[in-house]
Amino acid sequence: MSKDKTFLGLADFLIPAHGEMPAFGSVCSFADAEKALDFRVDLKEGFERGLDADPALSAEAHLEKLNKEDGAAFTAVTTIAICTYYMNPRVRELLGYPGQESVQYDSKATQIYLTDGSLGHVLARGRKYRPTPGL
Amino acid sequence: MNVESLSERGARARRDEEVDVAIVGAGPSGSVAALHLARAGLSVVVLEQGEWPEYNDYTGARPEHELVSTKLWHPNPNVRDNPNDYPVDTSTTDINPLMFAGVGGSATLYGAQWMHFLPSDFRVRSLDGVAEDWPFSYEDLLPYQLEIEREVGVSGLAGDPAFPPRGPYPFPALPIGSVGLRGALGMERMGWHWWPGSNAIPSEKFGELNACVRRGTCLTGCPEGAKSTTDRSHWPLALKAGARLVTRARVKEVETNDQGLATGVVYVDANGRDRRQRAKVVILCANGVGTPRLLLMSGGAKHPDGLANSSGMVGKRLMMHPFASILASYEDPLDSWRGPFGQQVYSLEFYETDERRGFVRGSKWNCMPSGGPVGVSGATGSKVYVAEEGRFQDFWGANLHENVARRFGHSLIWGIVGEDLPEESNQVVLSKDLVDSDGLPAPQIVYKVNENSNRLLRFNIDRCLESVRAAGAIETLVSTPVRESGWHLIGTTVMGDDPKRSVVDQWGACHDVPNLYIMDASTFPTSGATNPTATIMAVALRNTRRMIAERRNQKVA
Repeated sequence: MSKDKTFLGLADFLIPAHGEMPAFGSVCSFADAEKALDFRVDLKEGFERGLDADPALSAEAHLEKLNKEDGAAFTAVTTIAICTYYMNPRVRELLGYPGQESVQYDSKATQIYLTDGSLGHVLARGRKYRPTPGL
Repeated sequence: MNVESLSERGARARRDEEVDVAIVGAGPSGSVAALHLARAGLSVVVLEQGEWPEYNDYTGARPEHELVSTKLWHPNPNVRDNPNDYPVDTSTTDINPLMFAGVGGSATLYGAQWMHFLPSDFRVRSLDGVAEDWPFSYEDLLPYQLEIEREVGVSGLAGDPAFPPRGPYPFPALPIGSVGLRGALGMERMGWHWWPGSNAIPSEKFGELNACVRRGTCLTGCPEGAKSTTDRSHWPLALKAGARLVTRARVKEVETNDQGLATGVVYVDANGRDRRQRAKVVILCANGVGTPRLLLMSGGAKHPDGLANSSGMVGKRLMMHPFASILASYEDPLDSWRGPFGQQVYSLEFYETDERRGFVRGSKWNCMPSGGPVGVSGATGSKVYVAEEGRFQDFWGANLHENVARRFGHSLIWGIVGEDLPEESNQVVLSKDLVDSDGLPAPQIVYKVNENSNRLLRFNIDRCLESVRAAGAIETLVSTPVRESGWHLIGTTVMGDDPKRSVVDQWGACHDVPNLYIMDASTFPTSGATNPTATIMAVALRNTRRMIAERRNQKVA
């Protein structure tokens, strides 16, 4: 089996369709995974080993074997699968995740905890610290 | 001209030039010392094994952030595998030490939580009968704390009843967001202390620092240049004042003369060549692992147990703040990828000793967002919430989608920092077989979480679970003690008045080598339970001021 088919088989087992969320292979390609791998060259060797699958094994059995016998390969395959998936714009849209966005705010705005009384309760509960002895 | 090009002008001293002060390490303490010594007119050379941060390499604003940061910006040097770092032998420790080599030091990857130690932290023997009192008090240090806050550009809200009264912070507190409000709600329902987070992140532009935009990637380097690290807060000023900074300079030995005085340091430069920097005074600011490592590598045949180690205390009493975390998920959306990451609110409810709890000293809690979908999935990456015996299927397939749907954008994390009591058996030694990229022995950490810490964490976890459930948590995940949590490296060259029981005096001067100083957290007699950077920088400023005032009385080679 080619590497791309092997990987997509493993990735679809790891990340199947569920509710609104698509399966890995519905939104991501092997080329996407290879691009992700370019960000993590340290995973390349393990990724290659992880795709060297016995065709007689199911995706789950192959992953089970990797997890037990070659942790580095398991980590490489699963890390690339999950990160590729959650980098995908369609997946992010479905999750409502804009990425680590920049948020503007007014630094001088009065914060709600100052007006709703909650911080006042903290103050009302009194001093917490133990002072320096002898002062 | 930018800061880096300014730093390249004549950074390395001329051959055989003797400078007034050589400083090892350009992190928080070394940067404070360099700035203030240079402003006082002393000639200063700082030797830093890492490089200037490259802000374009911080991936926080890019889609690949979670993929890249778990390697390139991992706080564990063994995972990061960067040749500028040294490896650490962690085969004999419960907690991995975390650090970063570069201008700005390990703060490059800190959460920027800005907390003073409390008055009781300086008087643990007097108040609780454990460990030792510090040679100075909270009140002695407070003026330096406030001065450092102005240099760093701290945001916060004064008036916290968990601290003695103090003046305002330089900048208004950052927004606490939905995460902070939910964390506060739980504390409020329990009737417990909480307060809006104080962070070394200005909420308005300040010098070379930009205003925070809540990118939420503080722990993996701030691409906005908003998190205060000394490459931006101190070095532009230090270089203008005349301090010189040599990067990729790994110090391998502090040299001394026949009179036992320091004469300078030997370092390996970027080309792998040994160089000597002569100096009247040497200051070590290489963190609680790097500083004792360097002393243990120094001294030669005259001091086979290491330099400045007649007390036998170099490397001992390592404290790393055992840490637990609780992830709590809620039905309501909390936008829990938004920053600031370090602490949106904190609690000191259980900071002080109550012996009915079955342990002494206490904890500090900080409430932070839980981050992106990969991290909260628990499936890979940090592995914080993955049990070793867990089946991989528990985190994949439909479970992955359900875990992410429940947690992503809907969860917060309470971090629990426990005070770590000093024990001589917890220590830094030199590895017998592991070396760095220059062939120098790596440090080995020998460390066990003690029974007091275990009890402390258990108690605080139980209380934290009560709090998050009071605020409506539908799921909680506990990790304790978190192995990858040794951010705070404390105590390994302890300060004190007795040269037989301590390495340095209260001003950071080594008892054995009076012109060799240590100004990082290695000197702290106890660890407190707050994040130590504020105290590290304040103590460095106090020591530096004293050094300047006493410069004419300084014994030199």
